[in-house]
Amino acid sequence: MLPYVTCAYCHTLILRNGLSLEEVGKVAVLPPDVSPIQLGTSFRIGDALLTVIGRVRWGWADGSWNEWLLSGGDGSEHWLGEAMGAFMLTRARPDLLEHPAIAPFAAGNGDIPVGTRIEVEDVTLTAVDCKDAQCLGSEGDLPFATLPGRVMASIDFRGPDSEAVSIQRDERGPSAWLGHYSELAALAPGNLRKMEGWTIPAGLER
Amino acid sequence: MTAVRAITCPQCGGALEVRAAGFSVNLACLHCGSLLDVSRPEVALIEAHDTAAARFRLKPGMRGALFDVEWEVVGALRRSEGSYRWAEFLLFNPYAGYRWLILSEGEWQFGTMLLDLPQGDDDTVTWRGKRYARHEEPGTVRITAVLGEFYWRIRKGDEVASAVFERGGIVLSREGGGGEVNWTELVEIDVDTVEQAFGLSAPKPRRRAAAQPFAPFAATERRENDIPMMFAIALGALFVLLLAMVLIAGPVDSASGSVNAPYAVTREGMKIGTISVRRPHQFVKVKASAEQLTNTWVDLDYSLVDRATGQSIDGYGIVEQYSGTDSDGSWTEGSRSDTTVFGQVPRGTYDLYVDAAAHGWPSDPTAAELGWYSLPTTITVAVRAETGAIPWGNWWTAAFLLFLFPSLALWRQMRKEREW
Repeated sequence: MLPYVTCAYCHTLILRNGLSLEEVGKVAVLPPDVSPIQLGTSFRIGDALLTVIGRVRWGWADGSWNEWLLSGGDGSEHWLGEAMGAFMLTRARPDLLEHPAIAPFAAGNGDIPVGTRIEVEDVTLTAVDCKDAQCLGSEGDLPFATLPGRVMASIDFRGPDSEAVSIQRDERGPSAWLGHYSELAALAPGNLRKMEGWTIPAGLER
Repeated sequence: MTAVRAITCPQCGGALEVRAAGFSVNLACLHCGSLLDVSRPEVALIEAHDTAAARFRLKPGMRGALFDVEWEVVGALRRSEGSYRWAEFLLFNPYAGYRWLILSEGEWQFGTMLLDLPQGDDDTVTWRGKRYARHEEPGTVRITAVLGEFYWRIRKGDEVASAVFERGGIVLSREGGGGEVNWTELVEIDVDTVEQAFGLSAPKPRRRAAAQPFAPFAATERRENDIPMMFAIALGALFVLLLAMVLIAGPVDSASGSVNAPYAVTREGMKIGTISVRRPHQFVKVKASAEQLTNTWVDLDYSLVDRATGQSIDGYGIVEQYSGTDSDGSWTEGSRSDTTVFGQVPRGTYDLYVDAAAHGWPSDPTAAELGWYSLPTTITVAVRAETGAIPWGNWWTAAFLLFLFPSLALWRQMRKEREW
């Protein structure tokens, strides 16, 4: 059970503490978007069925993106980043924080410049994106509070074969994520959000 | 859940729709061209414009199905590299993401951004196990016009480094430098497929562009639509030239006569007649023609002799006719008449004298032949001199030169059309 949940009706962020509920504050109303994902959308990744249980929307100087929290039912945290119509599915890899190119950043010192290369499991990844983001809103169940004003630093690395590494640093500390860039179809989605004026392409949903 | 977000342009007050809400960062107003920031709930003006928005072949809001997926045009760009210009259209489907349609010289390409990146250097790259060779020198691509919405910050004048790699019909386009590099796979797509998909009315607009020079296509595809305009300008120039030539040609005076040209020897100084040039300068045309001419040529040397000064202006003409039979059957060559134009003949009165000599082909006839066979002993050539002539040769040369460039452009375009 994740500690935080956003009320879908009044946008109150609630902290679950045992059996008691604590009102933490109001989260920003999510700006409208045309994401095909919604709470309850599921993905078949190998043998695992991952279901969307929460979302955080982040904004930065040149736009915004969604991070969808997926639950595999085994307690593992998966995040599906959604930007520019493409997706990045990752899960936590705390060991990457010890990488020499990443450790100083993880410790709170300085930035990782665009173009920095790291080796992960014999794959060379390049930093393509370094940005500071603000929380624009949230919905569903989440592991951290998403009140307005929450900020984080985010660095994305890309590999030649769609490999993705994401390093984030916020008030809770650093975290490292490893996964792949992907198109929606490759994630074998189900229960996609229906949008007025659009039909879900045949064969997209599993 | 409605898929569009309605906004108002803060510059012109026009109603706009954000079609990829949540993804779009910038929007260039469809009404006034102002650049807006639509990434936040409040729409902010980035750059004000108050001129009509640029016109594109595909307009934001148009929809069409390509590769079994319905796409909505959300943005349009005009870009250039050096003197080369083309248009790019950003397509969006909330379930399939973004794609590109590129319109360059009447040809369309469908672009997909790559998630797996080609590896290599500036000369060759490897992608999905295949090598791609660089197509042209890397260059700098500039945005010259924007319309609609985009998922990144964009504005007119933006420049990006570009390189193109090719293998077969597949093009890999690399844009950007340093850390931010975007790769796009481009495949050719049939012009009819695109036009049918998006319901474009004119199947071959460029062929009709001459009749409708202000068709939207004119704005989109400058290079192509230049062709009808080039022809129109060439035709106009030719007409003006003809008018000028008729005006300059001046009054007509003529003289005619005939000469009998003997075989193998030159008969000199035969006078045809007298003509007067009554303008400071006029063209004088001398036309020679021979009716009876078989396997013979006649060399004609003209002298226009000014009566006042005795000075002579010389020219040359030839009438010729040959025939025979070879493995391809019978053939004839040559022309029984010939026109010589004297340019810039000054005011004055001139006598036209002709020196003429006839020659048989392949050899001059012998005396015996001249006497006993059907060949006449001399060849009669009619000669007519005329002032106020229009130098048609010059006019045709001008016509050729004027139409050369548009014709080359048209030929190049038609050849490109045939190629795919």
